[in-house]
Amino acid sequence: MKTKIQWLSLFGFLFLAANCSAFDLRQSLKDKLKVDVPQVNPKLTEAVSVAKEVRGPDETEEIAIGRQISGNLLGAAPLVKDAKLQKYVNQVGAWVASQSERPDLPWHFGVIQSDDVNAFAAPGGYIFVTLGLYRLLQNEADLAGVLGHEVGHVIRKHHLKILQQSQLVEAGSNILSRQVGNDKLQNLIGSGAEIVARGLDKDAEFEADRIGVVLATRAGYDAYGLPGVLQQIGHFAAADNSVALLFKTHPLPDDRLNKLDSAMGERFDSIKGQTLEKRFYRVKK
Amino acid sequence: MKKFLIWAIACCVLCGAPLAWAAESGTLTKNDELKAQPYRDAKTLKALAAGEKISILGKDGGWYKIKAGKSRGWVRMLSVRKGNAKKAASATGLLALASGRNATGKVVATTGIRGLNEEELKAASFNADEIQLAESYAVNQADARKFAAKGKLLARPFDYLPQPQ
Ligand SMILES: [Zn+2]
Repeated sequence: MKTKIQWLSLFGFLFLAANCSAFDLRQSLKDKLKVDVPQVNPKLTEAVSVAKEVRGPDETEEIAIGRQISGNLLGAAPLVKDAKLQKYVNQVGAWVASQSERPDLPWHFGVIQSDDVNAFAAPGGYIFVTLGLYRLLQNEADLAGVLGHEVGHVIRKHHLKILQQSQLVEAGSNILSRQVGNDKLQNLIGSGAEIVARGLDKDAEFEADRIGVVLATRAGYDAYGLPGVLQQIGHFAAADNSVALLFKTHPLPDDRLNKLDSAMGERFDSIKGQTLEKRFYRVKK
Repeated sequence: MKKFLIWAIACCVLCGAPLAWAAESGTLTKNDELKAQPYRDAKTLKALAAGEKISILGKDGGWYKIKAGKSRGWVRMLSVRKGNAKKAASATGLLALASGRNATGKVVATTGIRGLNEEELKAASFNADEIQLAESYAVNQADARKFAAKGKLLARPFDYLPQPQ
């Protein structure tokens, strides 16, 4: 029994320290446990890699991955050169994100120079909305809902999971912990900002929609900002180029509205929120 | 008549928003009720049937102010889809024009406005200056709270929504 507990705690420790290489682990185990670890049992080594697969990259690595993707995205479409606009979306975004279970991530928001209607989330808290989408918004609650959807992707690690599925993140986090340059990191995320153009599964999108309305509500906004924007986007013809990528990577707005209708039901009936139409920062036409 | 037209145009310019609302049409996606006020327990004015065409006059939270036949009232926003069931094809041309592309996605004008397609994203390379600029606008939690307080936004608990079956 006692040995079993020892094994369990050893396993638990390995789980926590799974980011280190097996060799470092043995060293630190010796230091921390002050026992002689004769040899890393092959089964344990296996446990380490299993644990790593389950846990994925740590937060520092997640942010580094997201930063690289975002830098590439900005290479395709730079920020709108309007400091007031950028500050404003960061204020709204930071407030919405602070209502999530990852308030301490270094959240970054931006509006990028593109007439497409779209928004992007990268791991670690990088979120970008196109100018084309921003122009469709009518008030701050709309913006909060849209940003809330993207925050949902980040906190549920939707894109990170795709990278993990391609079994690259494990290699990547080793690379990162050894402080190798950006080339390796770039290999890990594929070419350019391709990952943000890759569709998630529909359930991830519906989940992000549900999170979006809830985070906006928690932040004191009208919950119906995001559904209102989806109504507006649903208005676009599917053949319209400005929504081509959005419609390719997301379920169609009508499906998303149907799912939101079922999920929201009457839960929000007694909840009033602000739209802050007057404070909403409008971009020059 | 001419005078009226001038007035109408002036009104368009002065109060663009309400007129923009007036122009929007919608379709009921399910049976629902037309209410006298934008809340659940308000008086029911009449039944609305799935497929019914309506005009959207305004919005209040989760409710659209609508005109259905000769009656005006409120209906749940999520019982309505904006636009006709058949998406307006004419809008395509206009929007495609605005984005400098024709219907086949070819760039037809060089107006400096750009799209953002998969190929462009794939080909993109890291822009260090832009990411640093983006990071320079970061807002910390304390400032976010101040910003919220200025807008009288009150944080409140609300559970995540379960996945509907
Ligand atoms: Zn999404």
